[in-house]
Amino acid sequence: MAIDKTDVLQGTLVLMILKTLDTLGPQHGYGIARRIEQMSGDQLQLNQGTLYPALVRLEQAGWVRARWGVSENNRRAKFYTLTPRGARQLSAEARRWETVAGIVERFLGAAERQP
Amino acid sequence: MNRLRILFARILEALRPRRVEDDLADEVQSHLDHLTDELVRRGMSRDDARAAARRQFGGVDQTFEAVRDRRGFPRLDATVRDVRYAARLLMKSRAFTITAVLTLALGIGVNTAIFSFVNAVILQPLPYPGADRLISLWEGRVGAPPAQDTSRGTSIAHDMPPARSAVAPANLVDYRTLSSYFTGLAGVATVGHNLTGAGTPERLLGEEVTSNYFSVLGVAPALGRTFDASEDQPGAAPVAIISAGLWQARFGMDDRILGRTITLDNTPYEIVGVMPAGFTSAMQFTNSDPVAFWTPAAYPPDLLANHGDHEINVVGRLASGVSLASAQSALTIVSEDLAKRFPRSNSTCRAFLTPLRDDIVSKVRSSFVILITTVSAILLIACVNVANLLLVRAVARRREMAVRVALGAGRSRVMTELITESLVLAAFACAVGVGFAEITRRLLVAAAPATIPRLAGVSLDWRVLAFAALVSLVTGLGFGLLPAWQAGRARPVDALRSSERVVAGTWVMRWRNALMVVEIALSTILLTGAGLMLKSLVLLNGVDLGFRPDQVLTANVNLPETRYRTADDRLQFFDAIAARLSSQPGVESVAFANRFPLRGGWETGVSVDGVVLPGDGSIDVACQAVSPQYFQTLGIPLVRGRLLTPADVKATEPVAVVSDEFSRKVLAGGDPIGRRIRRAPTAPWITIVGVVHDVRRDGRESVMMPQVFLAAAQTQLYPVRIADLAVRTSAEPKALAGAIRAAVLDVDPNQPITAVRTLDEILTARAAERRFETLLFFLFAVLALVLAVVGIFGVVSYAVSQRTPEIGIRMALGADGTRILRWLIGRTAVVVVIGAAAGVAASLLLSKFVAALLFQVQPRDETVYALSAGLLAMVALLTTAIAARAATKVDPTTALRGD
Repeated sequence: MAIDKTDVLQGTLVLMILKTLDTLGPQHGYGIARRIEQMSGDQLQLNQGTLYPALVRLEQAGWVRARWGVSENNRRAKFYTLTPRGARQLSAEARRWETVAGIVERFLGAAERQP
Repeated sequence: MNRLRILFARILEALRPRRVEDDLADEVQSHLDHLTDELVRRGMSRDDARAAARRQFGGVDQTFEAVRDRRGFPRLDATVRDVRYAARLLMKSRAFTITAVLTLALGIGVNTAIFSFVNAVILQPLPYPGADRLISLWEGRVGAPPAQDTSRGTSIAHDMPPARSAVAPANLVDYRTLSSYFTGLAGVATVGHNLTGAGTPERLLGEEVTSNYFSVLGVAPALGRTFDASEDQPGAAPVAIISAGLWQARFGMDDRILGRTITLDNTPYEIVGVMPAGFTSAMQFTNSDPVAFWTPAAYPPDLLANHGDHEINVVGRLASGVSLASAQSALTIVSEDLAKRFPRSNSTCRAFLTPLRDDIVSKVRSSFVILITTVSAILLIACVNVANLLLVRAVARRREMAVRVALGAGRSRVMTELITESLVLAAFACAVGVGFAEITRRLLVAAAPATIPRLAGVSLDWRVLAFAALVSLVTGLGFGLLPAWQAGRARPVDALRSSERVVAGTWVMRWRNALMVVEIALSTILLTGAGLMLKSLVLLNGVDLGFRPDQVLTANVNLPETRYRTADDRLQFFDAIAARLSSQPGVESVAFANRFPLRGGWETGVSVDGVVLPGDGSIDVACQAVSPQYFQTLGIPLVRGRLLTPADVKATEPVAVVSDEFSRKVLAGGDPIGRRIRRAPTAPWITIVGVVHDVRRDGRESVMMPQVFLAAAQTQLYPVRIADLAVRTSAEPKALAGAIRAAVLDVDPNQPITAVRTLDEILTARAAERRFETLLFFLFAVLALVLAVVGIFGVVSYAVSQRTPEIGIRMALGADGTRILRWLIGRTAVVVVIGAAAGVAASLLLSKFVAALLFQVQPRDETVYALSAGLLAMVALLTTAIAARAATKVDPTTALRGD
């Protein structure tokens, strides 16, 4: 089942971007978009443009740093790198996500057990 | 923390918008290229891939917008764009902009200038710590029985405000028991002393104060100390505190001043303190002469026993937490108690409190309220004019607006733009207006009479500038809203469908006519006010003084009682001076008296032998003891009998000369010569020997009093002292000041002279306040009239240009130029008449507020009303005629061909 692109919550997108940069190292916007689509098993069809406002916010917050460079296709591209602050933010976000996910999971599980 | 970081990042981005924008475009392009590459690799043709990449990316423009919203401050950017756009547009239509900016700047300028006065004179706190707790305590007569003044046929109404008087030191003792309400109540009285010793003798103004005066004001001396509680007791050693001015002028700011003495009226005072340079005494704000010294006020026992002897001013400081109202009610209880204990002196006497600042500015407050109203009216006229100009512009730009609305620009966007334009206009006007305000302020400060308190502080400080900005903002919104609203209402269909003239809505015309009515009405009000003031001034200048004030130099020579004990001593002194001066070249005559006209005087009740006067049997007259040369020096003509002569001396029968008014008022026109008068049953009879022309002793605004002239050589009979000198000259009178000084020093080297002024100078100074007010009103009325003319001209010219086709049709149908002109003028005339009528009606309603400023003019003076309404109507119609002449030049063929 493909997830509708509007369902991707802003917070989730930020988390996914940070995780992508953490795993793959410096990446350009297209690479990040591809990675997110691949990781979701192509279930998540991004409007790739929506990535950029999120990246702006991450940059302004100082979680990522942007540098122009040359991509593997030999094209000019803007590469985003996770900063130490970004890495800290990622672990915090991830912990929070796990907690929330755990709660939701327990909630759903409990609901199933008590029909 | 995070927010702060984001804000900081945004500020950095806002500083280089171009770079951020380019960067984004490159990045998005790079993304699309990568995506295209990928799709090509998967087997698409490059063109298909490019299209697919765009689809997959989602809206490129939306992304741009979304990112722009995140970067920098997009809303601010839009505003900056609007402002730039508005400024560019305004720069393009230069004639419009200059007219509008100048019009508004005038309005903002005069308002700002007047506000700078209000700010400094009325709003600023007094220069004392905790000045809001300082109060003035005064005594007044309440519920006094109607005065038996049958001569004028008036009686004092019971609801009149209490007649203010000074405070009796005896009562102050009781008020001071309210120590839980006041941290202190201090008495202060102005005194004049002759300073002698090193240098030229000088008459100095000083104040006798209770020892707590300085602590009540909360001001410490710059050097030394203030008075202690033992020093304001009778018999205490004489001490004085001097002003920084005197310290500098007389002692060269010598640090070892403390302990030295100054001699005031032959008494040595030990200097115990020097006040700081910026110190202004509480009673000094309206006084142009500086207070040079303070001495302790030791009220003698007989003064403290007399509860009816009102002599001093009282300032006090409310204790913290005490309200004015509660202090007032406590004070009322004390003064009612005094009334019971001393019914003879205090039955109608009560004590009142006023905040000290209000007390100081109360005199000018009402004038200022009128001034503010006036300048507000001018600003309103300016706004109306500019609103009119903007309406014209809005109509001209209607198609542009309609096209933009049709292309999808939101109405609110268009309206925002128009408001922005108005505000930019207002901002220009504010800048120019502040310049105007500074010029106006300088002119006003220079022209203002010294009787306005705290003039020195009038400046364009931040409060005034904030006021100017606020006024400009309100103004900008005021004149901008109407055209913007109108633009918002415009239906694009109408504007696009037809040529301009057909859509020239009656709606716009109605508004313009309404605005014109307002403008004309406001101008009529100001013109009427100015007319009333002007007529007052004319009437005032026409009042006959009864003496000739030109070419007379007067001076005061206050002989101290310690050296000139008897009336004879003083007479000898003045005779000697007169002899010395008479021989000077250019001197026509020299006279002396207790006081000369316009310089104070002595009023007393007299009874007349064989005449039964109403009331207590006496009538109030103005008395003066004068030398024989007095009448010649002042140019008072003899009507009957004889003048006083050198033969009327101490040994001969006491004689007097009276004015005509005396015969009229006391003897119902009968001949007073040979009749006898006296001040009191115990005083000697004085025989009237002559009648002179009427004299308005206290100037043109004073009521006519019966005058009694007594012989200076017989002053031992009267409670006055000879102290004034007057010289009539054939040359410039001021040039004789030196000769008078020399003559006085020649007779007594320790004797200063003061108040050396020509009578003309005094008269000018007397009328200064009225002249200043009249000048202001006159200028404002002219300004209003000019603005109204500009406005009317604009409206009519526009109406003509708009009606060109209609005029063309009329002309084609046979109407000639004159008829067209008459038709156009007729249309405006209705508006003018309505406006003028509204103005007259409003003036009638407002007239009671200017009544206080008028002299012998009814606030509803028909002539002035008719003249100002007539003048305005005439000017308005003349303007209309000139503006409408363009219509007669319309060529029917061109007009009908249209655009």
